[in-house]
Amino acid sequence: MEVSDVFRIFAGVFSVVGLGLCLWLARVDFSKIPAERKVHLGVATLTGLAFFKLLALAALFAVPVVALGAANYHTIEGVHGVESCNRCHVMTPMVTDMRDPGSETLAARHFKNGWIPKDQCFQCHSDYGLAGDLRAKMEGYRHLARYTTGTYEEPIKFRGVFHNDNCLKCHAGTPKFVAVPSHATVQGRLAENSLSCLNCHGRAHPTREQRTPGHPDYTRLIGGDE
Amino acid sequence: MKDLRLPSLAAALGFIITGLYALDPGPYQMAAFIFFAQPLFLIALLSYGYRVWKDLRGRDVL
Repeated sequence: MEVSDVFRIFAGVFSVVGLGLCLWLARVDFSKIPAERKVHLGVATLTGLAFFKLLALAALFAVPVVALGAANYHTIEGVHGVESCNRCHVMTPMVTDMRDPGSETLAARHFKNGWIPKDQCFQCHSDYGLAGDLRAKMEGYRHLARYTTGTYEEPIKFRGVFHNDNCLKCHAGTPKFVAVPSHATVQGRLAENSLSCLNCHGRAHPTREQRTPGHPDYTRLIGGDE
Repeated sequence: MKDLRLPSLAAALGFIITGLYALDPGPYQMAAFIFFAQPLFLIALLSYGYRVWKDLRGRDVL
């Protein structure tokens, strides 16, 4: 079981508890709680009013903070798996291609050679993670809003900037990388992102044409007939 | 503080959406959680905070 699954279970359990407390609290009229009413909690005895005020603090502050924290942990850290990306069908062509042993895209070559053991999408698009920048997260929210409202057209187009850091974090300094003289020549441009790794190393994913409905490859990539 | 019906119901709705998201974290549930549940919790918290503040002011604590 992954850590994010544990957080997801926490979020679920606290949501159920919070829902119960809120529904209870919604029925309480604080002005009608008798002053003489006492609530025994085992270790302490409270007045009815004090008890329901503590209940309100738990239901409207403490439990939401825990549930939101756990759910947000999953939102940011628990979506690293390939299947999380594949849940949005516009991502399916990328995933299908990546898993295709006959494909020569960068993603497929990394996958079939086992260069990235797990969370293959995220390892190259790690800007979205907890350590990623705010702009990448905002882009993620925009993608989510566009996808769930259906306000997009296929093929989708990547509007952001793909940072070379995503490649260099693994490749920079390795003997194979250092052995290529042109890497030293363009080192500065790679670092400042004015030259993309993809310029020399080919496409990472299927072309826009292949991902366009009606193209001969589209049905295969979207998960239809082989 | 007479009743906390509005913040309680807003938070209850937020908990329902959060629970559904925890159960099945698909894109639609995620969007509902991010764009609806979290603002609902914020509304609940602000509304609750306002009532607490009013209550404390009424008792001359603040």
